[in-house]
Amino acid sequence: MTDAAILTEGLTKHYGDVKALVDLDLEVKMGEVFGFLGPNGAGKTTMIRSCLDLIHPTAGKATLVGLDSHADSVQIRRHIGYLPSDLSMYSDLTGRDMITYFANLRGGVDKAYVDELAGRLQADLGKKVGDLSSGNRQKVGLILAFMSKPQLIIMDEPSTGLDPLVQREFQAMMREVAAEGRCVFLSSHTLSEVQRVADRVGIIRTGHLIDVEYVDDLRSKAIRTIELQFDGPVEASVFESIDGVRDVRVASHHATMSFDGMMDSLLRVATEQYTLVDVNTQEADLEEIFLEYYREGATV
Amino acid sequence: MFANVFTKSLRDRAGAGLIATVSLAALILFSLWSYQDVDISFYYDLPPVVLSLMGIDPETFGVASMAFGAIYDFMGAFIVGGVAISIGAATIAGEEKAGTFGLLLGNPVSRRGALLSKVASLVLIVTVMGVLLWGVAIWSADLLDLDTAGVHLGAISAALTINGLFYGMLGLAIGAWTGRRGVASGISAGLMVLGYLGANLLPLADLESLAQVFPWYYYSSSSPLNNGLNWGDVAVLVGLTVVALVFAWVGIQRRDLRDKGTDKTLIDRLRANPRTQKAIDRIAGSARVSGIAVKTASESQGLLTVTAGIVFYMGVLIPILFNFIPEDFVNIFATFPDALIVMIGGVDMSTPAGFVTGEIFSLTAPIAIIVLLASMGARALAGEEEDHTMGLLMANPVSRSEVVLKKVSAMVGMAFVFCVATALGTWGGVLLGGQDEISVEGIVAISVLLTLFGLVFGGVSLLFSAMTGKRSAATWAATGLALATWVMYTFLTLSESTEWMTQLSPFQWYLGSDPLVNGMDWGGSALLLGLFAVLVIASIPLFKGRDLRG
Repeated sequence: MTDAAILTEGLTKHYGDVKALVDLDLEVKMGEVFGFLGPNGAGKTTMIRSCLDLIHPTAGKATLVGLDSHADSVQIRRHIGYLPSDLSMYSDLTGRDMITYFANLRGGVDKAYVDELAGRLQADLGKKVGDLSSGNRQKVGLILAFMSKPQLIIMDEPSTGLDPLVQREFQAMMREVAAEGRCVFLSSHTLSEVQRVADRVGIIRTGHLIDVEYVDDLRSKAIRTIELQFDGPVEASVFESIDGVRDVRVASHHATMSFDGMMDSLLRVATEQYTLVDVNTQEADLEEIFLEYYREGATV
Repeated sequence: MFANVFTKSLRDRAGAGLIATVSLAALILFSLWSYQDVDISFYYDLPPVVLSLMGIDPETFGVASMAFGAIYDFMGAFIVGGVAISIGAATIAGEEKAGTFGLLLGNPVSRRGALLSKVASLVLIVTVMGVLLWGVAIWSADLLDLDTAGVHLGAISAALTINGLFYGMLGLAIGAWTGRRGVASGISAGLMVLGYLGANLLPLADLESLAQVFPWYYYSSSSPLNNGLNWGDVAVLVGLTVVALVFAWVGIQRRDLRDKGTDKTLIDRLRANPRTQKAIDRIAGSARVSGIAVKTASESQGLLTVTAGIVFYMGVLIPILFNFIPEDFVNIFATFPDALIVMIGGVDMSTPAGFVTGEIFSLTAPIAIIVLLASMGARALAGEEEDHTMGLLMANPVSRSEVVLKKVSAMVGMAFVFCVATALGTWGGVLLGGQDEISVEGIVAISVLLTLFGLVFGGVSLLFSAMTGKRSAATWAATGLALATWVMYTFLTLSESTEWMTQLSPFQWYLGSDPLVNGMDWGGSALLLGLFAVLVIASIPLFKGRDLRG
């Protein structure tokens, strides 16, 4: 088995004049959870559907688990699990029937593992899926994607409708897959989930892959919110001149600011002129970085 | 608010009415054109009792009367009625199924207000269909310079509209009471077919008074095309329509609205019962989802039950009914000239075999099997794409060709069951009716040919399903081709210049050799089977080469 779970080279898809995907080069490795981010209509689903041979690329190629996405599409599907966005299922089948159907098509599914997944996700498999809420239907979809222990699990907006407890369990399941040397490719809008679970993220906008970064690297670049408390009133202008400081707000003894520089320089200025009583640093949040990537024409 | 709901309903449903009107208009023009050269002098030699039975006035009878009658008596009335039923059933029950009725009632509009605005849109669409068809009929006759003296085109158009409105309102009322679109359209369509058969067959067996139970009787029995509107019949149909509206009015107010979800079937109840759960789980659960072919077949078992059930029932009934037709009447059939026999499907209705072929195998059975197999063909690929389940299916290790072939094998399996039901029903009817001259070989031959014929239209539907991913395109292609080839088989035979085209119709390959009498037509069966194979083979690259939808 190759080291690359997904490898795309110049992957391009046009719908008439609309360029849904442009010259996309991406490598996703085994053993990682990869977050694929982008605003609505950016090309995330088009990329996934091209890789799965559901649509045919206009140019370029994709390789999944070392196999060509078009020529070896059937063989590839033995090694992948897939959860589409806006999941639809056969509404008159129960969750158990759905699982039996796809397990029969796939072969080699361990029933005990299905039961374990159902227990972890608190899924009701006895009801017809047409009668389930969207969150409960999504749980059945997650079981379908995970049940054969595939090398690569591709999920498009998988957290839709899941309650916070199930989301936490689902995130643990994804980390377990990566820990076993398998791969999760996760397209999502839930930025907090991606920053919590992904090793790397790829950002796509208007069909172009803008950037691929390790989440830890992004975190080190992230803007932190710093709160400083002094023993007397302070002036905002003192902090605004420091490199990396933005959005300074001063209220009597308190100063709050966004900061992405070295703490040493900030603390030196703060202690030179005033007596510092307390420092509070909030955890770096990637959301603002992601949103900046999303904005049309923005440079990051 | 009334205007908003009315306009939205009109916009949602007018398309179906427009497509049906255009198809029917084309059919009217085509039938008038093909009837132009027909020598109808033989009609004037028929006994007065036959002319009276056929609603023909010798003073006014002509090509126009005959051509319009051929369209309006059966196909036209069924198309307008069918469209009205589909609109009526979709109106309340369809919205409930889609989960949009609750959304509508989340606004300041009452249930009855919503009902009335939807009824208004149904009435307007069906009325506009009737008016357009009237205009097309006049224009077509003018274009072809046909004499329409004594032909009451306005009356038949009005009768067609009122008849359609009744069945549409019936579909709406059943939907308003049950919230189930399938139940509403199934029962209404079933009653329409039953009404047509009852109103037309029972008078043959001297049971006119029983025929009056069926609403269709008040559409056709007075022959409005030749005699103008019978106001008594109009009053009955309008009265029944009002009763259906009142029924809907009460039903929509009393009932708990259904949420978007599935129907609870008997199987579901048995699966929920601990005593039957294990056995039913095996049959309706694990066995049903054991593979693509079995699952595909199970999805159409309801439709199979209805369509094969109708043909089975008719197979039993018709051979027995022949015994009740007065002998004088049978003798009159025997005097029909060849030209007239050609016009009623090339069957000699004075014999049991001809009567069975004419009443079961000429129209009802072909329609039933086309409905079953064309629906399966459309659902096979396009249905999965439109329901957004194809992506999930194709994430498994199956190729697109394999999916097509497994879906086809389900279609063939269902066609086989239909064939067996048809043959068994007819054989039972022949035994019970003592029709010794109809052989088992003949029954098997016509049933097999019928099945192959149905598979051709299933194949057409599959081809368009594979090519477009759109269920409507597949259904319309199969329906349109069925209509066109039926016209080729029936009308084009009448004119020497167009007779050769009959040979191109699958109806000819299926019925042309009179298989109930003469046994298997191997040439016809080879043509049908070959065409089905070509359609299936052509579907595979079309499906493989295309971006999947959804």
